[in-house]
Amino acid sequence: MEKVIVSDSPHIRGKRTTRGIMLDVIIALLPAAIMGCVFFGVDALVTIIISVAASVATEFVYCLCLKKKPLDIIKSFDLTSVVTGLLLAMCLPSSVPWYVPLLSAVFAIAAVKMLFGGTGKNVVNPAITGRVFAFIAFQSVMVSGWVAPSLSALDGSVSTGATQLTSMLGGNGYSVSLLDMFLGTGMAGCIGETCKLALLIGGIYLVARKVIKWQFPVIYIVVEGFVAVCLAKFDFAAFMPSILSGGLFLGAIFMATDYVTSPNSTAGNYVYFVALGVLTAVLRAATKIEVVSFVILLMNLLVPLINAYIRPRPFGAPGFIERTRAKIEAKKAAKATKEEGGKQ
Amino acid sequence: MTGKRFKTIAFDGLLKNNPTLRLVLGTCPTLALSTAALNGIGMGLAVTFILICSNVLISLLRKTIPNAVRIPAFVIIIATFVTIVRMVLDKFIPSLYDSMGVYLPLIVVNCIILGRAESFASKNTVLDSACDGLFTGLGFTCALTLIGAVREILGAGAIFGVRLWDFKIEFFTSSAGAFFVYGLAIAIFNAVYSKVENVRRSKTFALRMLPKPDVSAPDNLDPDASGEAEKANTTADVTAKEVK
Repeated sequence: MEKVIVSDSPHIRGKRTTRGIMLDVIIALLPAAIMGCVFFGVDALVTIIISVAASVATEFVYCLCLKKKPLDIIKSFDLTSVVTGLLLAMCLPSSVPWYVPLLSAVFAIAAVKMLFGGTGKNVVNPAITGRVFAFIAFQSVMVSGWVAPSLSALDGSVSTGATQLTSMLGGNGYSVSLLDMFLGTGMAGCIGETCKLALLIGGIYLVARKVIKWQFPVIYIVVEGFVAVCLAKFDFAAFMPSILSGGLFLGAIFMATDYVTSPNSTAGNYVYFVALGVLTAVLRAATKIEVVSFVILLMNLLVPLINAYIRPRPFGAPGFIERTRAKIEAKKAAKATKEEGGKQ
Repeated sequence: MTGKRFKTIAFDGLLKNNPTLRLVLGTCPTLALSTAALNGIGMGLAVTFILICSNVLISLLRKTIPNAVRIPAFVIIIATFVTIVRMVLDKFIPSLYDSMGVYLPLIVVNCIILGRAESFASKNTVLDSACDGLFTGLGFTCALTLIGAVREILGAGAIFGVRLWDFKIEFFTSSAGAFFVYGLAIAIFNAVYSKVENVRRSKTFALRMLPKPDVSAPDNLDPDASGEAEKANTTADVTAKEVK
């Protein structure tokens, strides 16, 4: 024994850092971002750059306002704001004017993340809230003007109009094949949400790096599809178009799985993702618009409630079944002693 | 009423007990009617008028009203004045009457007015109560106008109905924006207020900690005392900084 370090627990620390995990998320997001740029052209790239730059700049300015030293800020910079900016840009349409990603990113970082205490302390997902902010704040810009990609497999021309999801929910059916939906060719939509293949590749990378568990996005997507089928009077043809349209993949893989704003127990996570799927399908049918971001925001707000009722089991503590058994036995014992007391 | 008393009442109503920003009373009309600065002024002045009248009447009747039924009595008095204001506005400023909608009759149960009646007018003289009503009402008006102006500039690109530019962030005219601006306004106001209050308190504290002036030498008391006060101030500041 050369050295004895006296310290509080935890004594064993993992090697993973927030920065490392965020780097993984960025790598996982890159395929979808690149595909977005390929489909939507320079506009998409500009939107992404503005959003990321504004996010990072907001975090720096906020820290400077708190009188932190610039060197400390750079040292403790954990890339979360880059992820927020990237995710935010990916769920905006490419046709938005420059101030939409800028203001949304400032709102997402300053009001949603930093005001609540920074990384790990935000109540709701900053990127989702930024998108909802953009949706409410610039309704006229956000609702109209979906640009179908210029590499359209259908006719090769740029068309502006409703997304496949909006036309589907409006009862007009969908006009592209399922393969096009999966690859994102000829699909109108947000920058990062159209190419499901790229999103899946990113998701598989995250699962392989053990950043997220595969069960949860799958639960979300499958439950959403199934409830959509139920709402379409058990027409199973509605399953694939429902899960392949809109921002469901992006939301399920990258947004809902955010560590900070999802429940901290496995059982709680099952409840969370099932509720997300059900709510998304029901509200999509009820409101006729894309609701993934609103539903994730809503469920983020319910996470403290889920955490209060479904607590994670500490390592080595009795599980649910053991606890119930112990309770029943204790009741029996109490009854027995009572009866004995009665006899005496 | 002495000047000092007047000053306290004014300070309390406008800043220290500002109904909107410090006590968080009257939240419902604040959120609903602060979409534009003019709406805020209209609502604020209506409330101010009712507040002054009801405060005066309640203060006059404070020894007559039995304690057990004081709340119904207050509500009846307030409702009388609200009815008068409603009729007057409906007749003379119908546009404001329409824009205030259901929030005008709801002033009857506005917690600012009931709160002032309960905590001030029922315990103080008529003149004091009238002053309290005026300044609390003005505090409410200022806060509402401020929030309304911010929301109007950002959400509609206009101020007091005058068009400034075409750029609009519709978020700020929605109710979500109302909560956002209101929350930020409370945060900023309280941060500034407590900072000012801290500085003031540390000054009075430093003054109190001074050695008592020498009674035998009253001539050089003033310059000495002020000099020492400054010194004490600086030391207090230094310690405060160190603590931070």
